[in-house]
Amino acid sequence: MISQSLKNAQPRGRVKLTHNSVLQIAMRWLGRIVVALFAVGIVIFVLLPFYWMAKSSFQTNTEIIAIPPTWIPQSLTLEGYQRALTMIPFVRYLTNSMVIATATTVLSALLASSAAYVIARYPFPGATAILAIFLFTQLIPPITRVFPVYFLIKDLNLINTYPGATIAYISFSLPYAVLMLSGYFRNSYPVELEDAALIDGCTLFSVFWRIVLPISLPGIIAIATFTFLGAWNDFLWASLLLYQGQMKTLQVGLRDFIGEFGSFQRANAFMAACVMSTIPALVLFSLGQKNMVQGISAGAVKG
Amino acid sequence: MTVRRNIFSYLMVAPALLLVLALGVYPMVDSLRLAMVQYDLMRLDTDGAPFVGFANFRTIFNDPRFLGAFLNTILFALIAVGAVTLLGLLIAQVLNLGFRGRGALRSLVLVPWVIPPVVASAIWMWVFQPERSPINQVLKAMGLIEGNIKFLTDAIHTIGPFSIPMMAVSAVRIWGGLPFVTVMILAGLQSIPQDIYESAEIDGAGAFHKFWYVTIPMLRATLAILVTLLFIGGIGHFEVNYIMTGGGPANLTNILAVMSYQQAFTQYRFDLAAAISSVILVLTSIVAAFYIRDRISHD
Repeated sequence: MISQSLKNAQPRGRVKLTHNSVLQIAMRWLGRIVVALFAVGIVIFVLLPFYWMAKSSFQTNTEIIAIPPTWIPQSLTLEGYQRALTMIPFVRYLTNSMVIATATTVLSALLASSAAYVIARYPFPGATAILAIFLFTQLIPPITRVFPVYFLIKDLNLINTYPGATIAYISFSLPYAVLMLSGYFRNSYPVELEDAALIDGCTLFSVFWRIVLPISLPGIIAIATFTFLGAWNDFLWASLLLYQGQMKTLQVGLRDFIGEFGSFQRANAFMAACVMSTIPALVLFSLGQKNMVQGISAGAVKG
Repeated sequence: MTVRRNIFSYLMVAPALLLVLALGVYPMVDSLRLAMVQYDLMRLDTDGAPFVGFANFRTIFNDPRFLGAFLNTILFALIAVGAVTLLGLLIAQVLNLGFRGRGALRSLVLVPWVIPPVVASAIWMWVFQPERSPINQVLKAMGLIEGNIKFLTDAIHTIGPFSIPMMAVSAVRIWGGLPFVTVMILAGLQSIPQDIYESAEIDGAGAFHKFWYVTIPMLRATLAILVTLLFIGGIGHFEVNYIMTGGGPANLTNILAVMSYQQAFTQYRFDLAAAISSVILVLTSIVAAFYIRDRISHD
């Protein structure tokens, strides 16, 4: 393929040698302008909704329903935020989301790292098949199993309870966490470390618990961040398993605004609620991102 | 020692495996069973749930809305995969150039990643509110349109083969999908050895030739994985369509996942819902099987 490219490129090369500077410089600037325009377009596409959300959340209701819309708020107000907190049980929804996502994250990290560790380190019979099962469940979209899961949780009398949602979220987060962590355990520290500990008389479990887990914490935290975000951001499962008033999570609760208040009548409160429910995810992501890099680069024990 | 290690391994893997089997694999199989019984919540007390074979599938295949939703599902997935991959390639190329502010631009592009789909849909619905849309305002000021575009409710106008609501909903799905794709492609780009570009340059290759004859072939593995993952995800996508339009107007944005959910929770026909989701299961399993075979043999 490269040799083909050279053939095609030949005439261009000659052009370069004969005419020079003016055309070339013009082309280079043209290229730069195209790249810059593209970059600006993308930035607008990505940021416009954020800006629109943020500015709407600080506008008064009169300003927000005005036609045409204003780009810069005339008077900044926290009215939207006050309303968001009172129109829906915002704090309660936030607490629900926080409790469930945290419980999911901790338990999933424990179960996933145990499984990932043995899959990565002790190639036991059936390990590949198990990995394939995880990969398959990870790939297939959740909508293909919502109804049986709903009935299952219902039969266990766990609809509209923390444990019901938490068990479900743990099981949905496990495949991804196990796949990522088994890659991490495979590469992050030398095998000699385990062997030495075993010779010193540690049990297999205490090698995992006292040595492997502590060294691998950065990687585990990075994966756990994704688990948390998955549970925090989820709508589909929460809408089925936690639908009763006080038990709703934020993502389901936000829909109260669409249903009850029309799409724009209280848009400042709605946008304020959106801002508030995004901030935890944003903060965590920026922290987790750093951890991810650290976890991957820190790797092994030195010396 | 080996026996002890194996016992230890099975004990360690058991809790995770059992949970995934109980709430991941079993429900998929049970979905197929549910698709073959009559399970009408309104008639459950009198009729029970008798086995009916493929009757549910016949019912949905005869429903014209199903064919529409099926085609929309494929079309949405293809639009999203195509646009996201193309844009991701271009953005990654730009981010891979050395210029001031590159780090900031990269972080910005990543942000939609963490935005919950509900929030993303809500913000965009507000941006798309016809009379108050900043997009309409700008387009009008530029003289490109006269009336407001009704992004989510216009069932009449089309642009090429695409209805306006389909384009609007797709834009939101693309917006949410870009970060992941950009990150993956950027990682792929950074793993291409620089000397290949240098030798291509010496041979006189221009920017386009380098992109077409070096970058694309070197990214083939990454792109293949990405396109597979995006396609599977696209086929099963639910949130944005459900929240923004609920499949409307006139079923223009209806997709299988939304239709399935609505059959279950507004019509109480869990059997038909399961039949529709079984179609998604079969479609995605075929693609997934190829992907898994490749991954496992690489490991």
